[in-house]
Amino acid sequence: MSGQTAIRIDRLGKRFGAGPLVLDDVNLSIETGEFVCLLGASGCGKSTLLNLIAGLDRPTTGSIDVPAEGAAVMFQESALMPWLTARQNVELALRLRGVARTARRTEALELLDVVNLADAAEKRPHELSGGMRQRVALARALAQDRPVLLMDEPFAALDAITRDLLHEELERVWRRTGRTIVFVTHNVREAARLGQRVVLLSSRPGRVAGEWRIDTTERRRIESPEVAALSIEITEQLRKEIRRNAA
Amino acid sequence: MPHDATLLDERDAAARAAAADLARTPEASARTADHGHDDLRSLEAGLDRLQTSPDRAPSAWRRFTTSVLPPILFVVALIAAWQLYVVIAQPRPDIVPGPVDVFNAIVLGWESGRLQLAVITSLERGVVGFLIAVIVGTPLGLLLAEVKPLRRAVGPIISGLQVLPSVAWVPAAILWFGLTDATVYFVVLMGAVPSIVNGLISGVEQVPPQLRRVGTVLGANRTRLATLIVLPAALPGYVAGLKQGWAFSWRSLMAAEIIAMGGTIGFGLGSMLQQSRELADIGGVLATVLVILVIGILIELAFFAPLERRMLRRRGLLQGGTR
Repeated sequence: MSGQTAIRIDRLGKRFGAGPLVLDDVNLSIETGEFVCLLGASGCGKSTLLNLIAGLDRPTTGSIDVPAEGAAVMFQESALMPWLTARQNVELALRLRGVARTARRTEALELLDVVNLADAAEKRPHELSGGMRQRVALARALAQDRPVLLMDEPFAALDAITRDLLHEELERVWRRTGRTIVFVTHNVREAARLGQRVVLLSSRPGRVAGEWRIDTTERRRIESPEVAALSIEITEQLRKEIRRNAA
Repeated sequence: MPHDATLLDERDAAARAAAADLARTPEASARTADHGHDDLRSLEAGLDRLQTSPDRAPSAWRRFTTSVLPPILFVVALIAAWQLYVVIAQPRPDIVPGPVDVFNAIVLGWESGRLQLAVITSLERGVVGFLIAVIVGTPLGLLLAEVKPLRRAVGPIISGLQVLPSVAWVPAAILWFGLTDATVYFVVLMGAVPSIVNGLISGVEQVPPQLRRVGTVLGANRTRLATLIVLPAALPGYVAGLKQGWAFSWRSLMAAEIIAMGGTIGFGLGSMLQQSRELADIGGVLATVLVILVIGILIELAFFAPLERRMLRRRGLLQGGTR
């Protein structure tokens, strides 16, 4: 990878109103083009962290540096506009980005082809399966043309077969587009399968509790032995973190 | 899959080349990457096919038998029962006329030209009044939906106005505007505007917050969020409001026409109803009621039902359905 820092998070703290600390002293630096998985149990503030990176919320203390162009976001629900076709949904993102009307159609179709959905361009969201909807949402996020792509448990609601395919799809899109991806999940295997780096957050307050780097990320599968081995290691650490809450 | 070969565009080729560059032994892994991608494509295409069911548009015959035929049969049965009653019980014809008498009254009205005049006058007023109500109600509804303090202040009064029968405004309107068309339009507006406003407000309230969030993430400012996302998302509620607004317009119009007669107020269906009553012409009264009813049904069937059906079908909110 190029070695440039895309996102720098420095001594970040976040609390909502007078509530308890949600995030405490989070330090993280993500390189351009890196694929980072943020992993944690419920209540670790991973979605909060993602919202902060996306600029949807402001940090209480500390700072976050993101590229000036901002970040694209993908949610657990595809959140497609139900009255628009797949193509029009992608075109909406292009329109809000300021792409000229004449260029939108072609570009939208190209982006849908990237996620292997050129055939479904004229279908409306309710005619698509959950996996297809998430791929349209991915195409829409790519249409924003931002260097950073933030993903908030995008595959959590999908069945295992579909999720497995979408892992492959996402990995392919990542290699092809060189986006910096921050992927939030509570699924250890998913993190070990996808990330170049897995960052474990502790819960209440969220802190960085562990970090793993994966050197060779090519041709990994969810059932690969190295993914399984890493999952066991991460799960051990995760359980330790969870147990601390019992005391 | 048939599209595998045809959809591989230049961009794909470039991506493959890039993927090949990344690999250690370019040629060999270019081939595997190629192969892998095609594999993924056909896998995804297969899964997509499995997970979506082809559209089953109901056939024209099936639609006829399930939605057109039943009401027609019911009406025919109703008329038959009515005729049977008249034949068997022999009631006084000046109190309970038969279907034939009512039909004759319609023909008579048509031949004298009064029926056409009344229908055209009422329809014109109803449609114009409704359109004015839409023009007034839509911006008002949007304003109330988007400005929360205003809605808290005005909302309950608008809801109250929706409950108030708009006929109650007729006496006041006659005192203010005299026996003119303005009286009729005023009453129609008081009937329709609250429905349209309320429909729009509830439509906007039911817009999923997730869609607004996506709009923000995609970089929409306030105006574009309202026009590109909130308004289209609120359309089902708005259309429901319009439909109810039309119903209230039509009802209020008839009430106003019955009560306010003379002056420069023309001859509408309500006036025809009132005139028939004064002549103790029960056939004419029932004929007019029938015409008013049929016009209401026709407007619903010809305008609102297709509009609603199309909108709901597009959004996947219509499951076969009865209409």
